[in-house]
Amino acid sequence: MIFRILFVVILFGTPGFSQIKDPDSILEKVKKEFEKIEDYQVDVKIKVDVDFLKMPEREATIFYKKPDKFHIDSENFALLPKSGLNSSPLGFLNYDYKAYYIREDTINGSITSVIKVIPLEVSADVILSTLWVDTQRNIILKVESTRKPQGTFFIDFEYLKTKKGFWLPSSMIFSFTVDRSLYPGKLNKDKESESGKAEKETGYVYLTYSNYKVNIGLSDEIFEDKDAKK
Amino acid sequence: MIFTLVKIELMKIFKKWRTYIGFIAIGILVPLLHLAMYLEGQNSIDFVTRGLRDSFILVGNLLNGYWISYIILNALTIHIPFLITLVAADLLAGEATAGTYRILVTRPISRIQIVTSKFLAGIIYTGSLIIWLAFISLVVGLIVFGSGELIVAGSDAIIIFDKSDVLWRFFLAYGFGILSMSVVCSLAIFFSSLVENAIGPIVSTMAIIIIFIILSAFDVAVLRELKPYLFTNYILEWREFFNDPLDLPEIAKSVLILSGHIILFFTATSFIFNKKDILS
Repeated sequence: MIFRILFVVILFGTPGFSQIKDPDSILEKVKKEFEKIEDYQVDVKIKVDVDFLKMPEREATIFYKKPDKFHIDSENFALLPKSGLNSSPLGFLNYDYKAYYIREDTINGSITSVIKVIPLEVSADVILSTLWVDTQRNIILKVESTRKPQGTFFIDFEYLKTKKGFWLPSSMIFSFTVDRSLYPGKLNKDKESESGKAEKETGYVYLTYSNYKVNIGLSDEIFEDKDAKK
Repeated sequence: MIFTLVKIELMKIFKKWRTYIGFIAIGILVPLLHLAMYLEGQNSIDFVTRGLRDSFILVGNLLNGYWISYIILNALTIHIPFLITLVAADLLAGEATAGTYRILVTRPISRIQIVTSKFLAGIIYTGSLIIWLAFISLVVGLIVFGSGELIVAGSDAIIIFDKSDVLWRFFLAYGFGILSMSVVCSLAIFFSSLVENAIGPIVSTMAIIIIFIILSAFDVAVLRELKPYLFTNYILEWREFFNDPLDLPEIAKSVLILSGHIILFFTATSFIFNKKDILS
């Protein structure tokens, strides 16, 4: 009898067991939170920090409309990361997947659930993604994703609350690695000669968002000349 | 006096049909390159940015007048020397061929003044050809393709220059182009002083340029040591103006070496022309 009582105490009393969370439910809440946003327009400052690429800081305006319309407007040349740019969690989950709750983690004082997402589709370009989800605000604070052919990249978000009460990124740091052999000229040749094979380079793109205009009824026409603008 | 002599020399140069071959060649070739870039230029941009396209969205117009002019400047600095030698090689040898040496030298001017005026006229012609190239490639390029950032695949990095940071670089690059092409002009005049027919100086100058360029291109230890002594090695140093930050000591070194070559060829030509027997 004592053993039975002990077993029940151990089974239901262990903190780890009691805190196991449903990853699908967490991700659904994140999606639902973002789905409240019909459209938005935001100004973004872009700073690129990578050894082999020198470019001045840039400004652009990003337009988003549900479910996946996206447009970037810039007077000058700008370079923006493909992943995470429109802040939509759907961008990280736009395929059939299996999610696994891993653990709890703290980012800048916010308690997050760490969830690994493995695609079930063979054709998906994602190999594995790990999401740090703030379950209080239902937003993604950090992403680590391994994709074909980019390799692994990290995205760190910071958020602000808009006037209309939506949590949207105030900044995003995109860190990535690239193969120098993909770049022309001597910069590639020099690196190869040192080690005998092409080397990887780590770079960062810093995006600072400001002047959010959410649910303003953006016209579809803005997104029609998408290809012409890019 | 020298101003009048240069004016006369320029009149002689621009009265000859061959003088306009360079201008016509550039006037035809550069628009053809514009057309080719209009049709295929995006592929060149894609080649430079191919490593970025997997992970990044590129917004904006990199296929613009500045990019086209940069590519043209790269392509033509090897070929422009030929257009310059066509005229420069004829400056002294042409007088010999026409039999006007005696009339020229018996006028109340020194032989040094004659050589100086010919050198200055040759350099003015060289400058006008480069300015024409700048006009056709840069001005017409900007009209046809518009303005924008310039992307350059440098030795250490891919550099994207803001459009407000490009024009002065082109002015300095074309200025450097005038200096480096003036070396070619001086060499052709030097050879021109040795013979009585322009064909020899044209072929000799081009032969030297081609040999030097080939020697520079071979990345072998022995030839690598020879490289600093080949003036062709400094002709393409205009590219340094499209670096960030500018390598000023390297640019200054190139300017001094190229200027030194002009002075050397001028001195040698003056010496030979001074000793020249015009009675034979």
